[in-house]
Amino acid sequence: MHTPDGFLHPWMAALFLALAAAWAAFAVRRARGTLTESRLRLFSVVSAGVFAAQLLNWPIPGGTSAHFVGGAFAAIVLGPHLGALSVAVVVVVQALAFGDGGLFALGANVWNMAVVEAYVGYAVYRALADRSEPLAVVAAGWIGVTAAALSAGLQLGLSPAFGYELLTVASVMAGGHLLLGIGEGLGTLAAVRFLSTAGGDDRVDAVEGVRA
Amino acid sequence: MTGVSFARRGWSRRALLGVLVLVALSPAFAWGADAVGYAEPLDNAAEATGATAAETTINPGAFPEYSVSGVGPYLGTLLAGIVGTGLTFAAAAGLGRALRTD
Repeated sequence: MHTPDGFLHPWMAALFLALAAAWAAFAVRRARGTLTESRLRLFSVVSAGVFAAQLLNWPIPGGTSAHFVGGAFAAIVLGPHLGALSVAVVVVVQALAFGDGGLFALGANVWNMAVVEAYVGYAVYRALADRSEPLAVVAAGWIGVTAAALSAGLQLGLSPAFGYELLTVASVMAGGHLLLGIGEGLGTLAAVRFLSTAGGDDRVDAVEGVRA
Repeated sequence: MTGVSFARRGWSRRALLGVLVLVALSPAFAWGADAVGYAEPLDNAAEATGATAAETTINPGAFPEYSVSGVGPYLGTLLAGIVGTGLTFAAAAGLGRALRTD
């Protein structure tokens, strides 16, 4: 889902660079002072884990492939602001050190994978957690990544490189990830469960996230 | 508000071990991706609209496409994965420390 350089119209790239910068300033203000020592470690570990998980491209029968994005996972574990910042760190490292995602498209990629997936995923999780926590976690990953793909599809579909074929691009992106997103949902559940298992059962330091 | 629990000492070491397992698997996934040649939906959308030729690379990065110059592709993926995971951990830790007020 990493948009490279050359795909977005310059005004679109500039708009999302500005939006991502404004969001980052907001999220930093909200997250500032909430980091205890254990939450700081969790923030670092989750960020590293999302980077590592994104290395794995899963081939899906039918001819497509997908990798775990992790926005919903990070938001559930860390809360939406810190969770989105965690994925933003991953996206910035990928763009700068590995050329994965364009430099001018960095704002759009942060917006889609960090902001949209984290906040939409977290909202879905909160809406469903009282009914069934596992279902809420799976739905958060599934709907979160589909929303992120739709956001990317709208950006690309309004760009001349894609012939302004908004409907085609948005449907390929959102439709594709609506199916692939089931894997994101299951991966989100597995990641939350793994982290909880690694930590044990007795809560010491309550954080703005899920007790899986 | 609920929360993930971290009562057991060494949870972060266990979690990082899990992260390293993912990194260790990355060459196998890179091989699998090459073997099946599948594309992501973004690539499919670019193909469907003729946008593929518009892609440019302004910054290839020190490890373009998760490769290491002079090293085979799968070992390169592994090394790039190790470097990237460490870089991400360090960047997040640095940002987190900057955000702490105490």
